Amino acid sequence: MLELVNISKRFKQKYAVKSMNMLIERGEIVGLLGPNGAGKSTAISIMSSLVEPTEGDVYFKGQSILKKPESLRKVAGIVPQEIALYTDLTAEENLQFFGRIYHLKGAKLKERMDDVLETIGLTDRRKEVVKKFSGGMKRRLNIGVALLHEPELLIMDEPTVGIDAQSRNYILETVRRLNEEKNVTILYTSHYMEEVEYLCDRIYIMDQGNLIAAGTKEEIKRILSGEKTIVIKADRITESFINEFKTHPLINGMNVEEKQVSIMVAKEVNMFADIIKLADKASLELNSVNVKTPTLEDVFLHLTGRALRD
Amino acid sequence: MMIQIIKKQCLMIWRNPAQLFLLIGLPIVFILILGTALNQFFEGETMRIQTKIAIIEHNSELEQADKFIQEMGKEAGLKKEQVASLKENLPIQRLKSLFYSKELSDTIDIKEVSEDEKDEILHDNTYSAIIEVPEDFTYTYLAHMIKHKKKIPQLRVIGNEQQQISVEFIQGIIENFQRQLTLSVFMSENKLDEQAMNIPASLFANNRTTMDQHEPISAKSYYTVGMAVMNALFVASTIGIIGFREKETFVFNRIILANVSRWIYFSGVLLSTVIFAFLQLLIIFSFSWLVFKVTWPNLFAFFLITIAFSMAVGGIAVLLTAISYRMHTERITNFFSSAIVAIMALIGGSFFPIGDSSEVVRKISELTPNGAGMVAYLSTLRGNDITDVSMSVIYLCLFGVIMIILAAFTFPKRGETM
Ligand SMILES: Nc1ncnc2c1ncn2[C@@H]1O[C@H](COP(=O)(O)OP(=O)(O)OP(=O)(O)O)[C@@H](O)[C@H]1O
Ligand SMILES: [Mg+2]
Repeated sequence: MLELVNISKRFKQKYAVKSMNMLIERGEIVGLLGPNGAGKSTAISIMSSLVEPTEGDVYFKGQSILKKPESLRKVAGIVPQEIALYTDLTAEENLQFFGRIYHLKGAKLKERMDDVLETIGLTDRRKEVVKKFSGGMKRRLNIGVALLHEPELLIMDEPTVGIDAQSRNYILETVRRLNEEKNVTILYTSHYMEEVEYLCDRIYIMDQGNLIAAGTKEEIKRILSGEKTIVIKADRITESFINEFKTHPLINGMNVEEKQVSIMVAKEVNMFADIIKLADKASLELNSVNVKTPTLEDVFLHLTGRALRD
Repeated sequence: MMIQIIKKQCLMIWRNPAQLFLLIGLPIVFILILGTALNQFFEGETMRIQTKIAIIEHNSELEQADKFIQEMGKEAGLKKEQVASLKENLPIQRLKSLFYSKELSDTIDIKEVSEDEKDEILHDNTYSAIIEVPEDFTYTYLAHMIKHKKKIPQLRVIGNEQQQISVEFIQGIIENFQRQLTLSVFMSENKLDEQAMNIPASLFANNRTTMDQHEPISAKSYYTVGMAVMNALFVASTIGIIGFREKETFVFNRIILANVSRWIYFSGVLLSTVIFAFLQLLIIFSFSWLVFKVTWPNLFAFFLITIAFSMAVGGIAVLLTAISYRMHTERITNFFSSAIVAIMALIGGSFFPIGDSSEVVRKISELTPNGAGMVAYLSTLRGNDITDVSMSVIYLCLFGVIMIILAAFTFPKRGETM
């Protein structure tokens, strides 16, 4: 349905996206994963016909959108990363304006507005100005606006950034329902691994403008088939303890959190003795040491040596 | 599609009562304050010309006439009646009686002074001008007219630079007078009229038009116009800010992604500004009509000026929008509303009739759209004909069009970085 061929985008000297290839088939939910500044939003601006790439081309149903963006624009709904709404207007007035510029009018417009408000759960707040909405409500309306013209393809740029767990679950459910009930094809961008893991059939992982992995969830996890993750928990983690690991020759990746360190090593390596010795040396009291099966988070760690979120 | 954008703009302004007050309430408050406080100043000095002038004669006109008749009378074959008529119509005498006439004596206070006082008067700022009659003016004139000898003599006007309008006014009268003298010589040479010296009627007629242009304007009328044109400029910055916010919040991107051409958006911004500025001006002028009785003698001219001026404001709005889109900052628009409007208002004459101070300032003043608008409005208020404002109206339209063209070139085209 949508295909990116060898897309690059350069700002001055710096590449925001470098030779990116991507394919989205009808009916899929595809995840685009990457940390801050990976180039996700840039890629989305290009594939939604907002920005022209420095190199490469984008095809929608086999037709280049660089020359003819109309066919894509008519059937694509874009959910921008920022809240792109008129905050001085009410939810209803926003929907009305954007509905009209999509050539909806009269009874059809009203029907679509009611439907969208229902979908995003804002029916009883429709007459309130957006300014007074909570973060989660604004996010929901931001998505709602993109649904007015019943898009075949929905491109969502981090639709759950900065909101509470309840709103987030609501949005995830909505996305899933749209895909299942209305067969909407979805590109879902996020830097939350668990969202992508929950929603998506296929996943692309980006870092610093490059695609570093692509495939189904299983394929991607298989990248780690030769590795395992060890999670070490302690009351406190000291600098010296971390430094010992950083220089350890057998460790392929590491992620430090407040009271826990995850390290990645080859499957056959036995690290327990080393861990206990190093903890002793740094005079740390260990609470637990566990081996766990790899997650997508670990894949990212493996591929980049860094955590997805800092 | 454009209608939707204009409708949305209306809603945005409507939802912003503070902005609405700034655009409509504030100018009305200003008109109330300035119009009332400065009324005295206006009625007293600036608008109604109260001019004091001096006339210096180097030697008596009557003696010159006698001398001429003695020397040349016989030779020219002047009859008794002719001599009498000549003595009754001596040029300087006529000029003075013109200044003493009912029509001019209200406005012009003329003092006959001697040569010795000239220096003193030159330094006296209360005088607007000195009319200096050269030595033997009348003798030379008569010699030219009757004997065709010597050149027509010229009166000298020494103007006070600080009272430009009065000086122009006096110069106008003198030029006219001089022209009449030449004309009467021409007529007598060609024997068109035995009574060639007696054509004073047209002299008055011509002077009346000069006076009409300076019909007094009340402070309330003046500040209604001044504040209206100044505050209309704020419509441009208000729309400019709304436009930039649309880009910043990615709403503009949404509009583009809905397959709306950026030129429709651009035209929507332009048209909504023109409409808002027009409505704003209409509301302010209606208010001053109802409250201050500032009435428009020629409504057609009024609407013509208002539309042209609104177009100029629309041009400014799209240029501000385009620049802020290109530069990725609303600084230019903020700078416009905080500094440039005030400067333009000052130069344009919104606070006081700045153009009266000198010709150069007046020219610069009329180059600002608000200044050009003011000139046109004030001229219409004085009851002048529509043709008198046509230049200003054309200038305003032209200004608007140039702004729009500049804006179109500046506005980012498709594919350029958002
Ligand atoms: N208009 C621009 N001009 C210059 N550099 C830009 C521009 N837009 C993006 N970049 C740069 O390109 C890189 C990718 O940015 P992008 O916004 O696509 O990342 P992202 O993956 O969406 O990040 P985030 O998760 O923070 O949204 C960044 O380094 C950014 O600084
Ligand atoms: Mg982004």
